[in-house]
Amino acid sequence: MDVVVSQVSKTWGSGTSAVPALDQVSHVFGSRRLTCILGPSGCGKSTLIQIIGGLETATGGHIQVRDPARSNISRALGADSVMVWQNLNLFPWRSVIDNVAFGLEMRGVPRPERYRRAGALIASVGLRGFEDHRPGQLSGGMRQRVALARALILDRPILLMDEPFAALDAQTKIVMQEELMRIFERTHKTILFVTHAIEEAILLGDEVVVMTARPGRIKDTIAINLPRPRSLELVASKEFGALFDRVFHLIRDEVMKAMQQQALATAGPA
Amino acid sequence: MKKMRRTAARIGEQALPALTIFAFVLAWEFWVRARGIAPIYLPAPSAIGVQLYRMTVDGSLPYHLGLTLIRIFAGFAVAGLSGILLGLLMGMSHTLARVADAWIAALYPLPKISLIPLLIIWLGTGEAYKIVISAVTAFFPVVISTYAGIRQVDHGLLKTAVDLGANRRQVQTKVVIPAAIPSILAGLQLGMGVTIILVVAAEMIGGSAQGGIGYLLISSSQVMETEKVFASLVVLAVAGAIIIKLQQWADRKIAPWVFQPWAVQVDQR
Repeated sequence: MDVVVSQVSKTWGSGTSAVPALDQVSHVFGSRRLTCILGPSGCGKSTLIQIIGGLETATGGHIQVRDPARSNISRALGADSVMVWQNLNLFPWRSVIDNVAFGLEMRGVPRPERYRRAGALIASVGLRGFEDHRPGQLSGGMRQRVALARALILDRPILLMDEPFAALDAQTKIVMQEELMRIFERTHKTILFVTHAIEEAILLGDEVVVMTARPGRIKDTIAINLPRPRSLELVASKEFGALFDRVFHLIRDEVMKAMQQQALATAGPA
Repeated sequence: MKKMRRTAARIGEQALPALTIFAFVLAWEFWVRARGIAPIYLPAPSAIGVQLYRMTVDGSLPYHLGLTLIRIFAGFAVAGLSGILLGLLMGMSHTLARVADAWIAALYPLPKISLIPLLIIWLGTGEAYKIVISAVTAFFPVVISTYAGIRQVDHGLLKTAVDLGANRRQVQTKVVIPAAIPSILAGLQLGMGVTIILVVAAEMIGGSAQGGIGYLLISSSQVMETEKVFASLVVLAVAGAIIIKLQQWADRKIAPWVFQPWAVQVDQR
């Protein structure tokens, strides 16, 4: 599924307290590609993918989700995508299997059928034996896998990921990144992956979209033509280093700007 | 060696509260005997113990305690069910929430015990009066906590449910209500506390012939049977403690996720 974003803007609040979050963002997120959206804190990148997922409304512009094979038919926002959240949003009262099966349950799939499918998916993310645990009984990395399985069970063509690995420790993050690459290379879903980590963006993405500080605009788009399947060893390569430099220089000024904005916001009006 | 010392320290820590109670009772007994204090004024713990035994054997204590417990559970059940129901409905309808909020704000601060004279005029001093007064009092903490629990549901969980295909009704039943359960249980705890207070108070004020621990307390004190007064107090304290403990145990069964907020560290893979 192509996601065609045209001049999308978003303003929080109104009147004098209005805060522009996104300013005329336009981009085509290619079908079956993994696009990383990279930007400083507060640049509206989470807002952008929530709008794409139909979970926030834009104040301007429009978004089209379409099958490249039948590009004249536009689909309802949110119908083809599913979100993996930064803070996971697992349901704490539900067991692992009931979290993973949530989407099927909402669709009215009978319990034996949804448990069978959820069980298989839980096993595929390495959580066999933890079906009856609750999220509070799991480590951060395991919870991350539950959130991933819960999104994957719906088998929607678009996966929206909002800094899903930001809260993980360094080693668990590497394992999860490899897991995601494996899933992407196997399923070839259209993935929009929001991050503020340059290395992560280059390692995972077919393309890195660099955003500016607030209000978020697209500063530049960099194609990552590194071969797949990829692994972490790539980070040590010359090509990777060159890409890193390029992205780093793009984003540096924006990070500085974002820091100033935050400093002003904390200091408040004089 | 180190481990043993640690275990010993832990047992000591657990036994300490019981030890202080034991020491207090011992000091009380000793003091009453040494000063020769009249039992009508302050009976010795041993005399209270004997009285407790007698009242248990002659059946008066189980009878009065049973009556009080039935009233407590009846009042609590009425308050719990109606409070949770109204709280949930308020969570689903903004109009109802606005209206009910105004009523709650007006009626909640009124000391419910001040309604006793009016309720006696309307209902007499029978069972209806005791259950109504305790239910009315317990209703408020339950409805307030239930509604607060619903309003405070994590917005992220709601969005997640919608993203995963939940419709409005499913969001209510599968996310909002389960997420409010901890708050509802906290409201029920508060409700139980005031139910106990109000049932006993109602028995003290209205209960000429209807019995109950409150009646036992007041009738014993009127004829200066201080040992019976103390025996009633002991029974009331123990019964109250057991009820609260049982409720905490039930809460753990109903909402186990609330009681393990810390992640158990499990090895990856």
